Amino acid sequence: MSIVVVLLSLAAGAYALAVIERWAVHGHLSLTGPAWAALALLGRESLLARKSDRLFFELGPVLLLVAGLMAVAVIPLAPGLIITDLATGALFLNAALAYVLVALIMAGWGPNGAYAMIAGWRFLGQFIAYAMLIVMPITAVAMRAESLSTVEIVASQEQLWNVLYQPMGFILFVVAAMGLAWLPPLDLPDATGELAGGVEAEYTGVRLAVLRLARMVIILALAGATVTFYLGGWLGPWLPGWAWSAIKILAVAAAMLSVGRYMPRIREARYLALSWKLGISLALANIFVVGVIALVVPI
Amino acid sequence: MTVQMIFLAFFGGAAVWFGVVVFRTHSMVRSALALLFSQTAIGAMFLVMQAEFLGVLQIMMMATEMSVMAIFMVMFMMDPGGMGKMDMTHQKRLSLWAGGIGLLAALLLVWLPDWGPVALSVPGAHEQAADLGRELLGRSMFIFQSAGLTILTAMIAATMVAIVPNAEQGK
Amino acid sequence: MTIAGAREGAMYGIRRAVAAAMARDLTAFVLPGPSVARSMGIDLANAHLRIVGTPRHANVLIIAGPLDVGLRDAAAVAYAQMPRPRTILALGAGDIAPLPDADVSAPLTQAGLHSELADLRRVVAAGAFRANTGEFTAAALEVRVEYTCPMHPEIVRDAPGDCPKCGMTLVPRETASNGHGGHGGHDMPREDRPNPADHAHAGHAHDAGGSGAYTCPMHPEVISDAPGKCPKCGMNLVKAEEVESHGPGHGHGHGGHGGHGKQQDHSGHDGHAGHGGHSKATIDGIEPHFMSMVELTEGQPRSSDGLQMDWIEVPFGPFFPGLPAGLRLTLTLDGDTVAASDARSLVCRAELVDGPQMTAGDFVERLAAMMPLGPVAYRTLACAAIEEAASADPGQDARRGRAAAVERERIASHLGWLAEFGTQSGFLWLAARAGALQLAVQGADIDGIAAQAGAIRALIRRVETAPLMRMRLGRIARIGTDAPASGPVDRARGGGADARTEDPTLKALGFEMCVREGGDALARLRLRCDEIAQSLDLIAAAGRIAVPQVPDVETVSGEGAATIETPRGAARLRVKLANGKVVEAELDTPTDVNIALVETVTAQRELGDALAAVASLDLSPWEVRG
Repeated sequence: MSIVVVLLSLAAGAYALAVIERWAVHGHLSLTGPAWAALALLGRESLLARKSDRLFFELGPVLLLVAGLMAVAVIPLAPGLIITDLATGALFLNAALAYVLVALIMAGWGPNGAYAMIAGWRFLGQFIAYAMLIVMPITAVAMRAESLSTVEIVASQEQLWNVLYQPMGFILFVVAAMGLAWLPPLDLPDATGELAGGVEAEYTGVRLAVLRLARMVIILALAGATVTFYLGGWLGPWLPGWAWSAIKILAVAAAMLSVGRYMPRIREARYLALSWKLGISLALANIFVVGVIALVVPI
Repeated sequence: MTVQMIFLAFFGGAAVWFGVVVFRTHSMVRSALALLFSQTAIGAMFLVMQAEFLGVLQIMMMATEMSVMAIFMVMFMMDPGGMGKMDMTHQKRLSLWAGGIGLLAALLLVWLPDWGPVALSVPGAHEQAADLGRELLGRSMFIFQSAGLTILTAMIAATMVAIVPNAEQGK
Repeated sequence: MTIAGAREGAMYGIRRAVAAAMARDLTAFVLPGPSVARSMGIDLANAHLRIVGTPRHANVLIIAGPLDVGLRDAAAVAYAQMPRPRTILALGAGDIAPLPDADVSAPLTQAGLHSELADLRRVVAAGAFRANTGEFTAAALEVRVEYTCPMHPEIVRDAPGDCPKCGMTLVPRETASNGHGGHGGHDMPREDRPNPADHAHAGHAHDAGGSGAYTCPMHPEVISDAPGKCPKCGMNLVKAEEVESHGPGHGHGHGGHGGHGKQQDHSGHDGHAGHGGHSKATIDGIEPHFMSMVELTEGQPRSSDGLQMDWIEVPFGPFFPGLPAGLRLTLTLDGDTVAASDARSLVCRAELVDGPQMTAGDFVERLAAMMPLGPVAYRTLACAAIEEAASADPGQDARRGRAAAVERERIASHLGWLAEFGTQSGFLWLAARAGALQLAVQGADIDGIAAQAGAIRALIRRVETAPLMRMRLGRIARIGTDAPASGPVDRARGGGADARTEDPTLKALGFEMCVREGGDALARLRLRCDEIAQSLDLIAAAGRIAVPQVPDVETVSGEGAATIETPRGAARLRVKLANGKVVEAELDTPTDVNIALVETVTAQRELGDALAAVASLDLSPWEVRG
C-alpha cells in the first residue's frame, strides 16, 4: 500500500519539479508544459549512435532510475508512509545513490561521443569532491538519533530540527547533494554551454525521457533526504505529516534547482579543492561539536 | 528458509557469472563494471544472509571503488573500448595455478575448521548495527584504528610517489 | 500537409496526440547561434520556444539570416543529427542547400518569426508522421570507402583493383568523404548510415618493418602472413602496412578509445615505432613487459600533469552553444587537458572589393552586411574612410551622432558577450537578462537608452558581485603584455590602446580610456562592464544617435584611411576611390589579431577553462581574413 502511495506522490513530485525546472532553465512557467514535452519526447526517434556500447547506452538511464527509486525507498513521507524502514536507512541511501555515478559513467561511455564521455568521467571527479561530504554530515545526524533508521532520525528532531542543531552539517550536505544531483552550478555532466548536453547529448526520444525522469527522481530523493535529515521530515504544526513532507521536499528541490541560475558553473577541480580543504575540515568539526552537544545537553 | 536459499544461490550465481564476464569481454570499462556488479551481487548475498549493515556497506563501497578503477583502466590501458578484441586473460598457466590453489584453500577453509553450530536466529538489524558499533569502538577499536592509520599512510605515500617524477620533469 | 523530416508511421490515434504535443513543445537549435540571431534583432526568448544546445534535443532548426557558405555542410550535419520528426524554419535565409527546403520561411523580422512559428505548429500537428519518409544524409558525414595498396599507401583508388606499382590487390579503407569538415560541433554519425568494414583504430598499427602482412598492434615483433590472434596477448592481428598510410602513426594501436572510431585524423599523435628490441629483465611465468604502460607510452608527448593518456581530437563548433558561432575550435584533449588547439573561422570575410568596382553606397552596405556582430561600427568605419578619401566633412553633429551609435553598439555587443558567457557558464539569469537588455538597447533611440540605463547599471552591479565569478574566471586565459592583442583584451592587462583616445569628438564628450589590471578573463569581464557604463555616459553626453549615411562622393578620386574602436577592438580601413567608385580596400580587424591568442590561452588548460578562455576573447569569426 505505502509503495503505491509513495510512487504516486513521487510521480506528482517529479511533475511539479519538471514545471519548476522549465521555469528555472527556460524562463517560462507553464503547468502543462512538461506533459506536452514528455509526450513529444516519446514520439521522437530514439537514435542509437554508431559504434556505441549498446549495453551501457541502454542500461545507463535505467540504472539511474533504479538508483533513484532505491534511494526514495528509505525516505519517510509520514509516520508509517515509507516503502521500507531499514535499520541502515541512512547508509542505504548512500549505497543507492553511489550507483548514480556508475550509471552516469555508463551513459557517458555508451554512446561513443567525446562530449558524453568527458562528461561521464568528469562526474567521477565531482564524485570524489562530494562523496565525503554526503557521508560525514549524515554521520553527525545519525549520532544524534543514535540510529541509522530514517524514521528514527526524523523522530529525533522532535525537539529541535537538525538544521538548527547542526547548521554546518546542513550547509555541507546541501552543497554535496547538489553535486550528486548535478544541479547548477555543479552541473558538469550535462553542462550545456561546455559540453552541449554532455551525458544527455546523444540520448533522444524514449531513452532521453527515461534519463530526464531519473534525474527528477534523484533530485526528489536528495531533497527528501535533506528534509529527513535536517528539516524534521513530516514534523510540523497544524498540517498532517504528509503535507509537511510534500511542502518541505518541493521547497528544498525548487531552491536547489533555481539557485544555480544566479552563478556561473564551477569546475570539478575547484569544487574538489573546496570540498577537501574546507568542507572536510568543517565536517569533522561538525561531528566533534555534535558529539560534544549530544553528550552535554541531551535534546 | 528455502526462499532465502534460492536467493542466495541466485546472487551467488550472479557474482560468479559477472566474475567470468570480467575476463570474457574485450572492453576495459565493461570489465571493470562487471567486477563491480559481481561485488554488488556479493553485497546482495550479505543482505540475503541478514547481515544488513555489511551488505549495504559492500554495495556502497564497491560502486565507488570500481568506478575509480574503471577510470584508471581507461587512462592507462591501451584499447579501453575493446575495439582491438584484446583478450583479457593473460599468463594463463600462472592464473590457473593460482586459481586452483585459491579454490582448494577456500574449500579447505569451509570443510576443515569446526564452525560450530549454525545460528538459528539472527539478531534484528537494529541490534546488529548497534552491536557492530560497540564492537568497532570497543574490543576491536585498536585493530581498526591502526588499520585505518596504515591505509591513510599508504595513501599519502602513494600520492607522494606519484608526484615526485612529475616534479623532476618540471625542472 | 507534411514536413520533409517527418517520422515514419501512419498518422492515427495516439500519433495525432503526439504530433499535437510536438507542435506545442517546439525545441529549437539555432543557426548560426542565438547570439547572432539576437544581434539581428530576433528575440527568441519571447517566442515560446525552448532553445537547446544540441541538435539531438531539437525538433526545429532555426536559421537566422543568410547562412554562410562555409556553414552549410555543418548545418546539414546538425540537421542530420536531429531525431525525426524534424523541421526547418528559415528567417531570411535564402539558399540553404545541402539542407532540404525549409518547411516554413519568412523574412528576418520578429513578426516573421511569430507568424512562421504559428505556421510551423500547424504543419507539425498535421504532418509529423508520414507513411514513407525519405532519407537525408549529410555529405560531410558520408563515409567513403576507398581502396589503397597495402605496400604503396600513395595509391588511392575509388574502385577495387590491383596496384599499378606492384600488382597487389587494393584493400578497402573507410574515410570521411569530406575531410573532417562540417561536424556541427556534434560529432556523432547517425545510426542509419551504412557501416562498411569496421575500421576503428585497430587498423592503425605499428610499422612492423617486415614483409608479413599482419602484425599485433601491441607486439610488433609478431608477424604473420595470415590474419589471426597474437600469440602473446590474443589481440586480433592487423594489416601491418596500414600504418604507413596514417603518417606518423597512432601510438600503440589504441583500439578506438571506447570506440571513438570516428576520428579519422590522428595527426596529433606522435606515435613511437614499435616496442621490439627493448630488453628488460623478465620473470619466469610472466610475459615480458606485461601491460607495461611505461613502455607503451615511451617517447610519447606528455602533458603538464605528467599523466600519459590517449589523445582524442574533439571538434567544437561552428554551432557550439558556448563558443562564438561560426568558429570551429578543434581541441586535442589529453584526458581533460587541452594538448593542442586549432581555431578556424568557417565564415571568413572575403575580399572587400572583388570583381567590378563598387559605388560608395554598395561598399558601405557590403561591409556592414559582412559583419553581423558589428554592423554599425563597420558602417561607420566605411563611411569615415570614404569621407577621408573624398576629403568630405560630415560636420560636428553627425560626428557626435555616429560616435553615440558606435557606443550604443558597444553596449549591445558587450551585453551580448555577457549573455553568451552566461550561456556557456550556466549563469542562466545573466544569459536571459543581458540578452533581453541587448535587444532593448540595439536600435534604441536616445530616450530608449536613457530608459534602459538604470537596468543596465543594475545588471553590471549584479555581475560584479555574483558569487563564484572569481573562481570561474580568475587567472584564466592570462595574456602577458608582450602578446599582440586588440580591444578589451588589450586594455584588460593594465594598459593597451584604444582608438577612441585619438578622436576629438569623443574627447569632447569626456571619454577616458578604461583600463583593468590582471590580463585574465575576469579582468576582461570587468573591463567590458566598465565600458558599458562609460558608453552609457558618452551617449547621454552626445545627446543624439545617428547611424551614418553613405557620403555623397560623386566622382571624387583619392585615398583615405580610418580607424574605429569597434566593440572588439580597433578596426582600420583603407580605401581608394577612383571616379566615385571604390577600387581598392584593405581592412584590418581586431579578431585577426585576437584569434592568434586562442592557442596561448587554451594550452594545457582544463577543457572548461579553455572554453571559457576562448569565449573571453570575444571573437567574431566574420572578421577573420579569408
